[in-house]
Amino acid sequence: MNNKFKLRKTNQFLWRNIAIVAGTFSFIICMLVLVNYIQINRIDPVNTELINSLVQRLEENPNDNQLREQIREMDLLVRKAYFTNQWQVKAGGYLLLLGVIVTAIALQMFYAGKQKLPEVTESEQENIVLFKEKARKWIGLGGFGLVAITLLIAFLTHKELGNQFTQAALVAQSTPEETSDNVEVIEPVKEVAKEESVEKEEPVVEKTAEVVKKEEPKNQETIVAEKKQEVAEKKEPEVKKEAPVKKVADNASYPTKEMMANFPAFRGAGGQGVSYQKNIPTDWDGASGKNVLWKVQVPIHAYNSPVIWGDKLFLSGANATQREVYCYDRNNGKLLWTAKVEGIAGSPAKSPEVTPDTGHAASTVTTDGKSIFAIFANGDIIALDFNGKQKWAKNLGVPDNHYGHSSSLLVYQDKLIVQYDHKKDAKVLALSTANGDELWSTKRKVRVSWSSPVIAQIGENTELILAADPCVASYDVNTGKELWKLDCITGEVGPSVTVGNGIVYALNEYASLVAIKPGANPEVLWEAYDYLSDVPSPVISGDNLIIVTSYGAVVCYDAKSGEISWEQEFGSGFYASPIVANGNVYLLDRDGVMHIFKADKEYQEIAAPALGEKSDMTPAFADGRVYIRGEKHLYCIGK
Amino acid sequence: MKKIFSIFSLLVLLIMDFAAFAQTQRFPRPEFESGYTQPITSMPEPRAGIFALVDVLLLIAALSLITWFIHKKRSRTGVIITSLFSILYFGFLREGCVCSVGSVQNVVLALFNPGYHIPLSALAFFVIPLVYTLFFGRTFCAGVCPLGAVQDVFLLRPVSLKKWLQKVLGLIPWIYLGLAILYAATGTDFIICRYDPFVGIFRFNATFFMFAIGAAFLLISVFIARPYCRFLCPYGVILNLVSRVSKKHLSITPASCIQCKLCENSCPLDAINKPVEVKQMEDKRSATRRFILLGMIIPALMIIGAWVVSNFHENLAMVNSKVRLANELLHFDSNTMKESLEIEGFRTSGKTKEELYLESAAILKQFYYGSWMLGAFIGLVFGLSLAGLTIYRYREDYEPDKGECVSCARCLKYCPVEK
Repeated sequence: MNNKFKLRKTNQFLWRNIAIVAGTFSFIICMLVLVNYIQINRIDPVNTELINSLVQRLEENPNDNQLREQIREMDLLVRKAYFTNQWQVKAGGYLLLLGVIVTAIALQMFYAGKQKLPEVTESEQENIVLFKEKARKWIGLGGFGLVAITLLIAFLTHKELGNQFTQAALVAQSTPEETSDNVEVIEPVKEVAKEESVEKEEPVVEKTAEVVKKEEPKNQETIVAEKKQEVAEKKEPEVKKEAPVKKVADNASYPTKEMMANFPAFRGAGGQGVSYQKNIPTDWDGASGKNVLWKVQVPIHAYNSPVIWGDKLFLSGANATQREVYCYDRNNGKLLWTAKVEGIAGSPAKSPEVTPDTGHAASTVTTDGKSIFAIFANGDIIALDFNGKQKWAKNLGVPDNHYGHSSSLLVYQDKLIVQYDHKKDAKVLALSTANGDELWSTKRKVRVSWSSPVIAQIGENTELILAADPCVASYDVNTGKELWKLDCITGEVGPSVTVGNGIVYALNEYASLVAIKPGANPEVLWEAYDYLSDVPSPVISGDNLIIVTSYGAVVCYDAKSGEISWEQEFGSGFYASPIVANGNVYLLDRDGVMHIFKADKEYQEIAAPALGEKSDMTPAFADGRVYIRGEKHLYCIGK
Repeated sequence: MKKIFSIFSLLVLLIMDFAAFAQTQRFPRPEFESGYTQPITSMPEPRAGIFALVDVLLLIAALSLITWFIHKKRSRTGVIITSLFSILYFGFLREGCVCSVGSVQNVVLALFNPGYHIPLSALAFFVIPLVYTLFFGRTFCAGVCPLGAVQDVFLLRPVSLKKWLQKVLGLIPWIYLGLAILYAATGTDFIICRYDPFVGIFRFNATFFMFAIGAAFLLISVFIARPYCRFLCPYGVILNLVSRVSKKHLSITPASCIQCKLCENSCPLDAINKPVEVKQMEDKRSATRRFILLGMIIPALMIIGAWVVSNFHENLAMVNSKVRLANELLHFDSNTMKESLEIEGFRTSGKTKEELYLESAAILKQFYYGSWMLGAFIGLVFGLSLAGLTIYRYREDYEPDKGECVSCARCLKYCPVEK
């Protein structure tokens, strides 16, 4: 090869034109690829506005097959467009490469032809001293600049991260459940919940229960509890509105005499599982009609329980398309009125998916003696007067609850308490009984729950106590301020708490039964794991804590020590919660047999009358009467 | 060999930003009602060991060939041919990996992490060019490295940069090398690969940002010769050092320089040292005094550098995904903030917060000590550069700068001297 410099003769005109054409081609392709790339990034093929609106229309008219086909075609079209765009970018890339190669070759050839023979320049020689001086100067300045910028950023952003991490690790170590509470475990269970796969979740819950078991040494529990409390104190819940301060309220006893004279809510006054009525019958037979004063069919089936105020009995019924509240004359079973719940602003066109064993109206209605309040699985909440006339109604937003919303309502003075623990935005709120205005709302860092609120007088405070994974929490019923919280409960919490002798008892299946001493520093007094419930709530009578399981075991614990006084197995399981009335426990099994036994240290059966109809609902009581909602009928038992 | 290669492939897969790959994965699976079952996602088989050997053999062959072209044939055409081959094979066909530039990180990771077994091909790609450079100068840079070759193709109207500016910009690769070593040693990332401006072009899968950076480098290459090689390439600075002591470096003239000055402006990299006359030199006493002074402040510069960078270690550590996640988790409030994908991923990993925080604290500690070393290294580079700029060497002939010269052989045809 010849290495000597020689001028090449190239067709400069040709190469220049090739370069211009190839360069222009490359530029156009580059622009097209760029536009395509931007298009791809802007369009989400599975989330287009048009298809979303069509899908929404389809949800309103699920039988519109033409619309369904149209959506499918559009979806295919959008996906095709997406992949075509991708293909275009790829193909454009190859074309661009080709264009750039041709341009580069043409330009190289063009400039090769323009090359001139090397010339010896007579320009002044570079001053090496000056160059080195300048280089030193700029290296020095560059170094100073670098140091200044680095230090500035370092001091502005310095966070002692190492120490923060070490401390955070220590905190995480001393509070092991911290890692699995609000952040870590909620989401996976949410995912499981989405799939409505209870079976899959069980191991998770079991695992958590094991963790709790491991934490048995009380000292450690106390430390953990204290730490939790500290955190709880630091992070006060968000209270949207301060309720109007009523000094009288704080010291007023709860439940009120009026409430005790009636049966105004799920599990009676305050939701405590106690009936204050007398002469409760113990003998009836649904099949023969013995002591059945009346029996009526309920128009729409639901799992909520009856409530009573005066001569009136209320309950609700709902399916995917209808929601109704019923008022009966409790003396003769006459349906006095039916209130249809419809046309509520914000109410979704389609009811949310619920499981058959929960239904669209699992929440029991409540009353304050002036109004009836009912809530449904789609988030509709309504207040009706005693004549069935709507006072106010609103939609709280569709609860994201994979079985269906089932927390019942409770009234405290002028406040309607709503436990709204759903996936997206768990909260507890108080609405004005008069107009439905939100008096306060407190966010809750909990998973979805199906338990109901309980209001109890603890010392001088009237506390609203809620149970949901991961905690049992108490709120000031007037302001919604969190009073105390104890992380002690896991899983899909269905049972509500019970309160007796100033102690709060909470439980859930695969977790534990916990006796909590409430207060600023709540304390676990004792824990038990043998008999747990996933649906029925516990009840307390004196020192006897009655735990009912859904598989048929009933156990009496010594409320103070946590020792088992007796245990009894029944053939049928229980979904209804036990109610203490007249010193006896009334417990309805799923076959409709009411097990009546003494709330005592020893098991003593009083009677076991059968309804002759299956039932999962908790009975309501009036003097000399028991009201039971069966699968289809409403019964009045009495003499 | 297969195992080693699979580990390496996995590592590379983790490190590289497979934009298109990720895009495909992000696209949600359609739900079929027809009973069609989704195929199980499978990873592509790692490159067979024999092909890794082929890569190494081709590297040796290309290096031998280009060295022969440069030293024996003194042919620029031969360099161009080898360059085109390298762009095609090491660039487009092998998609820029494994490459010698990135292999620095494999070596560092292997040195600092006993659990990491460096793939032999990566080690070969690191060592072989160094050996050739030690004997023949930077012939690897001339046309075997696809990154350098692709820039060379675009060079049309070379513009000479000011010498002092070249010196200042020439410090950047040292800092980049230091950072790359720090991140590789801490197992954080292979930043040279992640921010390789050309690899995305070779693979047709560059992110928009990286494509823009690559295109910008190529456009700059039209006027400024090999901007990446000169002002960024961390492997280049190692080759620069080795080349300075190379046994048989390219010479412009095949015999004796006749001072014709024809080659004076032939190098687009300004890597030809011109003769230095005695009259140009500074007063020897003041130059010596400055040299001693600058030599003495090198330790001070190292201490200052170490202190400054050690204060910056938290920012440097933020590149580490674990530290970033721990920091995010530390400030995460589930009440007011939406959970990020990273937190969700961590939550489902089954790892405890305690473990993450402890690991992150340990990584921060590594960064703290690493930052002291990095700062001292940068201080040393600045100090030596300053001291080096006080040295004047008497030179009679036009000679290639053995460190800076990439042996592209452009200057050879300018010399009229026959062998």
